[in-house]
Amino acid sequence: MSAEHPVAGPDLPPLRGQAGARFRILVCIDNSEESNRALRYAVRIGSGTDADLTLLFVRPADQGLETGGMEIAVARENMLSWGLELPGKNALNQARDTLIELGFLSPEWEAQSRHVDVQGDPLGDYSMEYEGGDGRTICLKLAVAPTHARGILEECERSEPDLVIVAMSEEREGAAGKITRQTAETVAREHTGTVLVARELEESHGHLVCVWDNPESIQAARRDAEIAGRCMCPIHLFAVAPSEEERSSAETAIANAEAAIKEAGIPIFGKKVMVGEPAEAIIEEGRGYSVIVMSSRSKTGLRRLLSASTSLAVLQNASNSVMIAR
Amino acid sequence: MVSLSHRRRALPLRGFGYFLWEKRWLWLVVGLGAILVALGPPSGFSPAGYGALILLVGAAVLFVTEPIPAPAVALLIVVGQVLFLGRSSTAVAQSLMSDAVLFILGALMLSVAMVKQRLDRRIAALIVRVTGGSVVSVCFGLTLVSGALAALIGEHTVAAMMLPVAITLVRHAANDPAQIRRVAPVLLFSIAYGCAIAAIATPAGAARNAIVLALWEGFAAPAGDASSATPLAQPTVDYVTWVLYAAPVFLVLAPLIAALLIATFRPRSADFADAVAAMKLQLAKEPPMGGRDYAVAGVFALTVVGWVMFSGAFGYGPVAFVAVAFLLITGLVRWADLNAGVNWGVVVLYGALISLGLELINTGAAQSVASIALGLLGTLGLDDGLGLTAAIAVISAGASNIMSNGAAVAVIGPLTLQMAQGAGESVITAGFATAIGSGFAFLSVIGTPACTIIYSSGLVRPGDFVRAGIGPVVLSILVLVFMAAFYWPLLG
Repeated sequence: MSAEHPVAGPDLPPLRGQAGARFRILVCIDNSEESNRALRYAVRIGSGTDADLTLLFVRPADQGLETGGMEIAVARENMLSWGLELPGKNALNQARDTLIELGFLSPEWEAQSRHVDVQGDPLGDYSMEYEGGDGRTICLKLAVAPTHARGILEECERSEPDLVIVAMSEEREGAAGKITRQTAETVAREHTGTVLVARELEESHGHLVCVWDNPESIQAARRDAEIAGRCMCPIHLFAVAPSEEERSSAETAIANAEAAIKEAGIPIFGKKVMVGEPAEAIIEEGRGYSVIVMSSRSKTGLRRLLSASTSLAVLQNASNSVMIAR
Repeated sequence: MVSLSHRRRALPLRGFGYFLWEKRWLWLVVGLGAILVALGPPSGFSPAGYGALILLVGAAVLFVTEPIPAPAVALLIVVGQVLFLGRSSTAVAQSLMSDAVLFILGALMLSVAMVKQRLDRRIAALIVRVTGGSVVSVCFGLTLVSGALAALIGEHTVAAMMLPVAITLVRHAANDPAQIRRVAPVLLFSIAYGCAIAAIATPAGAARNAIVLALWEGFAAPAGDASSATPLAQPTVDYVTWVLYAAPVFLVLAPLIAALLIATFRPRSADFADAVAAMKLQLAKEPPMGGRDYAVAGVFALTVVGWVMFSGAFGYGPVAFVAVAFLLITGLVRWADLNAGVNWGVVVLYGALISLGLELINTGAAQSVASIALGLLGTLGLDDGLGLTAAIAVISAGASNIMSNGAAVAVIGPLTLQMAQGAGESVITAGFATAIGSGFAFLSVIGTPACTIIYSSGLVRPGDFVRAGIGPVVLSILVLVFMAAFYWPLLG
């Protein structure tokens, strides 16, 4: 389906990597196979010398009540005195080994560890920062927070990443530190930037970019195109009209997105317009792709919380990865 | 190491919607509480009793859903007692502190002191020396030794001390994730369940025991006259009496639960022989026990003797405080370590819950709820005798599996004791059924301190608790009912 009415896309601030600044990726890990796949995808997006990578493991803070009034830090300190590593450190070490295996990190890089007590827990927040000679930095972070979602969102506020990747395993349970479905959805809903919820993430199947005839959607499409361009992932545009009467609006959306993306010099590998229920159609069409890309209109506050958007429906019901581009 | 330049900060205002969503259970509790207060008390409830019940139910919901830190619930309970029950601030403040709270506080400080002494190496060396490389004997050894220690020094203490022992064994026994998944649960649950069932054996085993002691004091008035109940100055059940009732339950359960765990997870002996040998080598490098270690162990032994001999006369708390003061004076433990290791907010919470529980008893609200509960149990034939004891144990175990067992006992204890009094049964028996039953929180991560601590290792999953815990929960309740039927009557 070709677009008949190409319209120039709206002005879009360039991604940091393209503006000469660093492109920052935050990957939230939980020691699961899914987070390992997400990390590999992040490495692919971050290939080149203009990207910085932060790996984050969030450890929920002890409420104290569950341990009968004794701080669990006492148990953790005892583990350390035996020379044992804490669960989060294990996950970060495994992720570091993966980065070395992929050639994204070299053992020769200069490393600096940082530490800060949190809520009286001397084991608190911990980070290990590696700096390569080419200007890249890789940071492994262990953070304590009241909840996983809160910890991830606070890190987002602090480091303002261009892309947040949250691995969401379909396993219904996991060990301490596991990122649950609810956590991933909360981060995708609440973060004001772009979030990729990685689920059964398979590389090389391309991005299905879903567009609507509104400026936010066109911006999101171009934003994803730039990210996809970093990992050489093919882009396919997709628009759904709820009824035959609205088909022209969907075609306009495709045309606008195509123009905006081509303006950025990024090729498009396919485009399609369908009539049907949007969320269902997108989920069905998106099965064959690595990532389904959705836009989110509401960026802040209560509107976002209360809006039962198509993006949220796709995020909650798709079986593969979904990116909420903002 | 350098300090991070940033400090943790709250989410900015643009996350206000998220804040509202995150705290949704708090708004629900506050909203429903306001509506119930506005509707006024139903017949059978005094205004103060009705208010106390609303506070208790609200606190229980907040414990389960955790929208706010647990100590914040304590502060809200205090405010609620002043605003809704018409108590003076001074009266509420006085009710927050009791011998039970002093006991909990002293025992927690002693726990931190014990963990800091690295006595776990000696215990681990003893276990591997006695058990050898057999997987069955290692699991039995962990359950029995953890249990025996937990009875004396508290389940959280022993879980914290034994966690590295189990993880070290796992590291020596397994390399790949599949092997670790096969080996870790059986070792960790041997410790957790051993601690949980042993914590019932003495008053010092867990905070919930101290809470029951406090509630018994609230029932010091003659049976059927709870409205005039006046808390006694000293506990109604001393250390020895408690041990006589509860310790045999642990002794019967420990080997049975160890056997159940082995049958559930079926670990292979081949996984353990080398691990035990490697651990022996590791522990052989540890320096021998020094004077400091002996001193701390000796102080704790004397504390137990003090509880046995003097708890009836002076209460439990002062005995523990003498020990802690001695450790501080002699420099065997630093205040900074105690300060960092004890969650003071939770101690305040226990105080607030005990205070609220006594309000329920004294205002007659517990009596009204107990009447309703007895009516419901009556339809099942469980409103008196052994049936009631079994029902109380099941209710306690159930509540403990959805909130921490200390909070569970504080929430349901006033009701279960009142049910026993209303049915003309022994309040003491009901108290033991409540305290012991709450120890059977094997199905969830948050049920007992020991379960929470082993979960923090990252080596077990929530589903493992269900898989491991179903059998022990059923078995434990059966054993408890058996003891109530045949053993406790012998004690008079």
